[in-house]
Amino acid sequence: MVDFFQNTIDGVMIGSSYGLLALGFTVIFGVMRRLNLSYGPSIMIGGYLGTVLYLNHGAGPLVVAGAVVLGAAIAGVYVERLCFAPMKAGAGIASMVSSFAIWMQLEQAAILVLPRHTYPFPPLATGATLEFGPFFVRIDHLIMLVCALGLAAAVQVTLYRTRFGLALRAIIGHPVAAHLVGINVRRAMLLAFAAASAIGGVAGFLVLAVDQQVTPMFGMWATLKGLIAMMIGGLGSVPGAVVGGLLLGVIETHSQWYFGPQFRDLIAYVVLFAFLVARPGGLFGRAPSPDITTPQKA
Amino acid sequence: MDDYLIGVLSNIGVISFIALSAYLLLLTGEISFGQQAFFAIGAYAAGIATALWGWPLALALVWGAAIGGAAAVLVGIPTLRLHGLYFAIATLAFAEMVRILFELFRYQITIDGELVGPDGADGFRNIRYIFDNNIDAFQFLLLIYALLAVVLLGFVLLERSRLGVIFRMIGEDETLAGLQGVSIAHHKVLAAGISGALAGIGGGLYAHLTTYVEPRIFDVMLGVHSLAYGLIGGLGTALGPLLGVLIDIGVLESIRALSGYRMIIFGGLVALLLIVRPRGLLDENVVHKIGRFWRRISPWARRPGLNTGNRNNLTGGRP
Amino acid sequence: MLDVSDLVTAYGKIEALKGVSLHVESEKITCLLGPNGAGKTTLMMTIAGILQPRRGSIRLGGTELVGLSPARIVARGVALVPENRLVFPQMSVLENLLAGAYQRSDKAEINVDVERMYTRFPHLRERHQQLAGTLSGGEQQMLAVARALMSRPRVLLMDEPSLGLAPLVVAEIFSIISELNRDGTTIFLVEQNAHMALQVAHQFFLMEQGRITFKGTPGQLAEDEVIQRAYLGTRRTAG
Repeated sequence: MVDFFQNTIDGVMIGSSYGLLALGFTVIFGVMRRLNLSYGPSIMIGGYLGTVLYLNHGAGPLVVAGAVVLGAAIAGVYVERLCFAPMKAGAGIASMVSSFAIWMQLEQAAILVLPRHTYPFPPLATGATLEFGPFFVRIDHLIMLVCALGLAAAVQVTLYRTRFGLALRAIIGHPVAAHLVGINVRRAMLLAFAAASAIGGVAGFLVLAVDQQVTPMFGMWATLKGLIAMMIGGLGSVPGAVVGGLLLGVIETHSQWYFGPQFRDLIAYVVLFAFLVARPGGLFGRAPSPDITTPQKA
Repeated sequence: MDDYLIGVLSNIGVISFIALSAYLLLLTGEISFGQQAFFAIGAYAAGIATALWGWPLALALVWGAAIGGAAAVLVGIPTLRLHGLYFAIATLAFAEMVRILFELFRYQITIDGELVGPDGADGFRNIRYIFDNNIDAFQFLLLIYALLAVVLLGFVLLERSRLGVIFRMIGEDETLAGLQGVSIAHHKVLAAGISGALAGIGGGLYAHLTTYVEPRIFDVMLGVHSLAYGLIGGLGTALGPLLGVLIDIGVLESIRALSGYRMIIFGGLVALLLIVRPRGLLDENVVHKIGRFWRRISPWARRPGLNTGNRNNLTGGRP
Repeated sequence: MLDVSDLVTAYGKIEALKGVSLHVESEKITCLLGPNGAGKTTLMMTIAGILQPRRGSIRLGGTELVGLSPARIVARGVALVPENRLVFPQMSVLENLLAGAYQRSDKAEINVDVERMYTRFPHLRERHQQLAGTLSGGEQQMLAVARALMSRPRVLLMDEPSLGLAPLVVAEIFSIISELNRDGTTIFLVEQNAHMALQVAHQFFLMEQGRITFKGTPGQLAEDEVIQRAYLGTRRTAG
């Protein structure tokens, strides 16, 4: 029983990083209605920037964190300008494939800068743990959870309490009508994209600090985990993104404990598939709108 | 032909099958991130058939295609009502499940004192059919392209058939197609099955070409690549995905001087291309124009047939 | 007030507007009639800046609007109530109104205007917390009009406000149009319902296949035999 609860705690902690990744994804997808496959690789670029500063200049955790977030946001802006802003309505699939092409580009750029397979990344709080009775919680995990909940709340408040949030929700509701009431849609989209990539950067920094290493493969990992958590939680829902992430984390930890590491991912995918088939809207989402990235729809 | 060229061409041919399989689904309006699953299933099934059961290659390829198609039908049924991103992620989840299951899949028997067969994450070695039967690399290349030609002929016939029109109609507007009396479910499962079988043949050929497969080859990267080929080359004709494969593997992978910068150049070019041509190089308009030109200069061309072009006029319609 | 001259807008090779010129007079209701596909919505979308014309000019009291972003055009004083209303379905009635005032920063004045809209459209006050997507078609049309008015436009463009609404609701919309005009709002209206338009508009244009084919007063419109047959049918007492 202690194991079960300890696993659940660990799952929630790990899941909070998935939730953070899903949060950025959700903002991009919610506003654009398009899939940014380069989301993870943009974060990876931020991670590399942080590592370079750490290796070459001995930067501390705060500077590294700032560099990861900034690097992710800049890479995100690059992706938005190239793959999303120039695409006409109805070219959602072109945006998606284009963002995939840029993924390849970013991955190779990272390898050119740092050619080895892995590089060290500075830890946040090395191995320190807190004890609650029979349970243990790592401090860096706890920071991750706090950041996830805090950022989710910040996103929610921004969406529902600010002028910028009003603009974003108007765009989500009806892009043409948003233009008609005088919202600068392109600028709002670019800002949302940059902010979402920055949120991803926070997630990236925390995960990398826990792993204490960075590889080019981190991009794919971040895209996949964010995507899965977002789909489980429900497309376009901020609370859904976080809860989806936590649930994914818990499922993974328990699967690994009871069935071994290979079953961890297998069971996560089985759950995802089951969710999509039985309840495509996820935990918090509405029924799927059919033309999200279907290629032919205008 | 030197060995290197044969190798590259064989690769292009084999990958074309999975690109065509993703393209067929795109025609019906579905984005699949998971065609690599059927490619993998075809590879393992055909490999097991020749290496473990001693079947002839032809039969093994048919078997691989059949199993690939059957698996695609099985996935196609529960995912019928999913669209867009939902369908894409469901296929991705399935493909990852398949890949992990192959990591767990062990089925080895002793042949001539040697253990042969899939060995989990270590892969499946010694699919030696073409060596044991003295088929040289060039002959196998011919086999690949002969099969590819058959498949392309099938696509040509499909584009001119009622079925092809129905597929494009479903891709254009499923609801409208339904109102025209088309059985949506039936045709979508059919398209899924055919595309699974195509990927399955490709997988079977791949396994015998490389003599060795391992689960990690069949990851999401392969799936997204095969989807991208159709969009780069163009969605107007089945030659589009082939062109995409040719550009990626043929031109870029072969120019050794570019190694290290290959994806930086290729990624940027693809992104720029898609801005100008969001439906690829050979999109419906280009194909339509080429068709018209051909009919004008060719004395024995048939009268204007089914028009598959003009889609851009529709998508560029009024807001 | 609003001058459109020689406007050409195309979708690819197909020109939807083939050199349109017209004039919208200050503090009047100007109505554009025409069959489906004549290019009326294209004209509205071009004026609002959603579509870019190939050539021609759109002037508002002397300022050129062509080339400005939709947001700038709203700021200059042109607001469009789009065809099919396009309210923000997942936002409340109040939020829709606030979005309409997106270009403005005078918070106190915005609240005064919200109050004004509630007075003019009492249904909206009752439902101010309700999501716009759950309103009836007529209420959504009222909301779309109110949302456009929140930007305090100098010219209000309305694209087929009667589309898909019940006859009683249509009558209500048209009485609101008259009322707004009496209060001094310049209105440029696209309609297919010529009978209703005849009762409120001061000036008419007829558009066919991307060209203006008739211009005149309600009296001239009613006298024109061709228009009579095509757009008004046999004279009935219009509802």
